[in-house]
Amino acid sequence: MSKNIFKKTALISLILFLASCDKDEPEEIHEHEEFSRAVITVTNEADQASVVYTFAIENHDYGDAGHDDEAHMEIELEANSSYLFAIRFYNDEDPNNPEDVTPEVIDEKDEHLVFYEFTDGVNITLESGPGDTLDSNSNPLNLVTRWTTTAAGVADVEAYLIHQPTSKTGTTRNAIGGATDVEIEFEAHVN
Amino acid sequence: MRLVVQLMLKLNLRHTSIKTSNNGVIILKYSNSRMNCCAISTFFNLVVNICVLTTSFVYSQNCNLTFTGYVFDVDDNTPLEAAMIEVLGSDTFVVSDVSGAFQLVNQCKGKLRLKISHINCEAVYREVNLDKSSTFNFLLEHRVENLDEVVVSKLRVHELSATNKIHSLSELQKDRFSSKNLAGALEQISGVSVLSTGNSIGKPVIHGMFGSRVGVVYDGIQLENQQWGQDHAPNIDLNNFELIRVIKGAGTLKYGTTAGGVVILESILPKRVDSLYGKTILGGMYNGRGYSASSNWVKSYKNGTYIKLNGSLKRNGDFTAPNYNLTNTGNKENNFSIALGKNGLQHKWKTFFSYFNTKIAILESAHIGNVKDLLRAIESSVPLIIDPYKSDIDYPMQDNSHYTANIEYTNANIADGELHIKYSWQRNNRKEFDIRRGSLKDKPALHLVLNTHNLLSNYEWNTAFGNFDSGIFFQIQDNYSNPETQIKRLIPDYLKTKLGGYFTATFSNTKDFIFELGARYGYNNNEVQKFYTNKQWDLKNYEEPFGRYVIRQTVSQKLVKRTLEFSTFSFNAGVRHSLTPAYTINFNYNHTQRAPNIAEMFSDGLHHSLASIEYGNPFLGIETTHKVVLDFEKKQGAFQFNISPFITVGQNNYIVIDPVGVEKTIRGAFPVWQYAAVSALFKGIDLDFSYAFDENTQFRNSTSWVEGTNTKTNLPLVNIPPLTINNQLQFSLPDWKSFFVLINSKAVFQQNRYPDNNFEQPVIENGKIVTKTVDISTPPAGYHDLGLELNWGPYSLRSSKLSIALILDNVLDNSYRNYLNRLRFYSDEIGRNISLQIRIKH
Repeated sequence: MSKNIFKKTALISLILFLASCDKDEPEEIHEHEEFSRAVITVTNEADQASVVYTFAIENHDYGDAGHDDEAHMEIELEANSSYLFAIRFYNDEDPNNPEDVTPEVIDEKDEHLVFYEFTDGVNITLESGPGDTLDSNSNPLNLVTRWTTTAAGVADVEAYLIHQPTSKTGTTRNAIGGATDVEIEFEAHVN
Repeated sequence: MRLVVQLMLKLNLRHTSIKTSNNGVIILKYSNSRMNCCAISTFFNLVVNICVLTTSFVYSQNCNLTFTGYVFDVDDNTPLEAAMIEVLGSDTFVVSDVSGAFQLVNQCKGKLRLKISHINCEAVYREVNLDKSSTFNFLLEHRVENLDEVVVSKLRVHELSATNKIHSLSELQKDRFSSKNLAGALEQISGVSVLSTGNSIGKPVIHGMFGSRVGVVYDGIQLENQQWGQDHAPNIDLNNFELIRVIKGAGTLKYGTTAGGVVILESILPKRVDSLYGKTILGGMYNGRGYSASSNWVKSYKNGTYIKLNGSLKRNGDFTAPNYNLTNTGNKENNFSIALGKNGLQHKWKTFFSYFNTKIAILESAHIGNVKDLLRAIESSVPLIIDPYKSDIDYPMQDNSHYTANIEYTNANIADGELHIKYSWQRNNRKEFDIRRGSLKDKPALHLVLNTHNLLSNYEWNTAFGNFDSGIFFQIQDNYSNPETQIKRLIPDYLKTKLGGYFTATFSNTKDFIFELGARYGYNNNEVQKFYTNKQWDLKNYEEPFGRYVIRQTVSQKLVKRTLEFSTFSFNAGVRHSLTPAYTINFNYNHTQRAPNIAEMFSDGLHHSLASIEYGNPFLGIETTHKVVLDFEKKQGAFQFNISPFITVGQNNYIVIDPVGVEKTIRGAFPVWQYAAVSALFKGIDLDFSYAFDENTQFRNSTSWVEGTNTKTNLPLVNIPPLTINNQLQFSLPDWKSFFVLINSKAVFQQNRYPDNNFEQPVIENGKIVTKTVDISTPPAGYHDLGLELNWGPYSLRSSKLSIALILDNVLDNSYRNYLNRLRFYSDEIGRNISLQIRIKH
């Protein structure tokens, strides 16, 4: 009998002990890996005038109402000119500490590729530009590209940052493969 | 070679002997009314004892009663001659005659302490309460002659339910999946399918339900391993357990309230003999170029002490589909367990520790960045990444460890009842690795640590009215999401406390009917601490309902601490009617309540393989389901069958995840899915039949059909298993008994009832913007899978018995995709596989 009481007391104590546990406050997490902003600096090679275009869509926006402005981003170019497009990627997850993630992309140059995809409407030649990074197989990453325009026109452009592309020499998104890290779109206006 | 004697829990005044129903239920009949009233009104033995003592004191003067008994062999119900029956505390003894009968005359009213022994059996002690001349039956377990046959006798196996159809895996069915996973083994049971992620991760689906609605119970304890995720397989090694059983339906409320069904894994207590035995299974596999080994050993002693050791390992490299290598699909598993116990006649102790670790590679081409990547994968007939075979595991992968430690005490002789007390600890360490960049490469993208403590106590007792089982449980569970991943928590940190109790009763007032009732109450307290981004907070208007729970604010996030409480009440009622000895009908009704799980309320994140964002719904309430299952069964003769229709109704609060919109991110637009409460209706039927042409040839069929509908929208539910028909022919040659062949044909039809969750995605194709449909809904075509199994043995090898099995799966090397495989958008199922198994019983 006394043994039983002892057992029951031990049991109740154990329950109370377990129930008295409390959790610590979790710490805040800032995601340093995800991209939240892409910036394209477009420089006219003739006069070195540059315009900065910022594409910012914060991760985990909810719903799509009122967030379609990025579809209407327009990049103005002149006909028969040559421009340098320098694209950089940022992480603004921690507002006090925005990070430039481009150096990380460069560090892993063999695993990354920037790719621009066009609809019909303009005739632009695109090649790797000065200051671009080459990977270990001498394939350009297209972080800096030279855009040479001819006649006037308008086209939709998709810009991708691709992680682990299966081919770096492909000319379509399908041929390049890999997983998309960044996908932004704009209209190229050649006037 | 000596055996534990099994004793009868039953006493019988009328002449009916112990009745063992088809699923092994012992029906107790005994009508000592004085004791009844006491036993029913009490829970603990103490009171019963006092009650019995009082009774015996009052009536102890009456000493002219005749006590008649019969002793039977439990295995075949044959009478046991020459059993010795001693009345303890006196010099009286008698010996049973050829019909197993004995008689003790001039007995006094009150307690009679008996020792029944037989030359082949260890003595058994019983206490009976005599108040008039009575007839009692005793069952003794006859000694098993071959030690290598670990016989699972009816009484050594705990009965799960008297009125539910219990489906057990045979030893052969279990061994066949020794090197695979639990869900695969369970799929051999009609009505059970597998929700898989690739070919190594599988969750059991019972009657169209899975996850939190299907319980996995090991040695009486619910397995706690993040079962909410579709790609979270039960972290348990089936080789640890001798007995694997399934109830399709909440069945017994003893272990929990899982509306879909419950999978019960048990280890059998070794007998009280000096013995060393074991079993080893070695396997080699052609597809995956893998191997596996599993070995378990039991050392038992006559005094009841035993030690059980089990270890297993599995290694596989990339598997192959008929036309290509499935890059990064290998797996590695290491498991170990040890049980130490003392199996006394009255007191039983058991301690158990197990370690389970599995590393599973996830198909590399299933790692995608956004919806366009998903679209490209769906449009391609082959995976977008096909590399040569490798045996290593690369990212993406899962690395899951599960530790358990239990201690259990049973007192088997308290006023004809058994008292169990059990403490268990479980730790689940789940790491999901993704393809990441830079310094985060080797860090998991998801790292959850789940610690669970369970304390259970129950008391099982028997009276003239029936069998009763009543228990209380207490659980405390701590979930920790490691912030080192540097990815926002998919599910928040929480502390869950559960406590409650259950009561089940089995009655049998006539020969042909058994009734069963059960009830379970649970109180569930979740203390959740979750971060919301300010953006999300504002968009979802959470300030109003949850603003007062904010305990910390940072520049971009809010930390909310809430306590959510749920009280659930579940009950069931069942009846089993034996129409004739061959035909029985079972009917069961289950009313089940389940508190929403943390993932359903708070999940928050991107699912890479499905390119979707999932949000929990913090407003969910208790999910209530009603399920009715009927079994009509014929268990004798060459032709046997079981017909089992069922209906499940989830009224207003059945939790599903539905697409609700699109969310734009810098990766592009993603479909958003959110948990919601709907009304659901499941109906279906499982058919099993078998026909024995002769002793060498047997045919078996099992057919499962289920339909699930959201009755609010009248649309089909997603991921409902399609019609499946299994045909199996087993035959051996009359002159070659140690060889048999199994031909297995599995036909899976196309699922024609599915919700349309497709969405549109514009892409640039040949210079034009084209809007394409991302078809994530259309189920793949049906398929036929032919299997062949050749079994040789057992052959004697010194003191061991050896059997060999050659198993061929997908013999025809068919290419097909499986609706219930979440990676079906990316690749075919694996092609032909040939495996060789050597099974040795020591």
